[in-house]
Amino acid sequence: MDKNNKIPFDEDNYTHNINKNNERKLDRRGFMKTMVGAAGLFAVSTLPWGSIAATELMGLREKKYPKKEIIDVKKLKVGDAFEFAYPTDHDSALLVRLGENEFKAYQNACTHLRCPVFWEQSKSELVCPCHHGFFDVKTGSPTAGPPRRPLPEITIQVEAGKIVATGVKRYET
Amino acid sequence: MKRSYRGVILLCAVLFLNIIFTQKAIHQYYYEDYTATVIYAVLNLVLFPVALFIYYKEKNV
Repeated sequence: MDKNNKIPFDEDNYTHNINKNNERKLDRRGFMKTMVGAAGLFAVSTLPWGSIAATELMGLREKKYPKKEIIDVKKLKVGDAFEFAYPTDHDSALLVRLGENEFKAYQNACTHLRCPVFWEQSKSELVCPCHHGFFDVKTGSPTAGPPRRPLPEITIQVEAGKIVATGVKRYET
Repeated sequence: MKRSYRGVILLCAVLFLNIIFTQKAIHQYYYEDYTATVIYAVLNLVLFPVALFIYYKEKNV
């Protein structure tokens, strides 16, 4: 009774005659130990997110983005899109010319599982082909499919006939 | 011998909260709501000693 694997006889256990390997290994206490271990694992797994968030919080005010030329205004026809990278070479982004003086740019990693998002001109919407996520071009917010968060918008300016990226907007939550 | 399953149920609740806080922390991180991320991460950390406490309280009950 004091040890596992020994079957106590004054117990309301009707399976004494069934012998299986390790049949008493995951008992109540073993299960509780596993749960405590899992709680520890969860605690450790959120540490990196928490620490990155804390460092972001400390340096949020000074967050500055470099200006970057994207493309000549003349080279992009109305209704066309152009893919570029901003703020770093690894952050792919998409610029869409909606009107004569109307431009919109978003980071084009789908907010569901980070697939690239494409501009579908005939339907005037941004499409993620992986799981059919759709985004509104005007706001970047998801209109259908699995994504729940809007695409991060990139602020742009037109300077001397060139489109220039100036920063990434924060989510307004 | 009858066992008390209170500890098991409480630890299940702790793990359920763990799952919720982890998911919330990650979602709020992607929403760039960093204060909320830190809060959820700390809550997740606090749950571990709570789980240990429940275990030691309930292991012989």
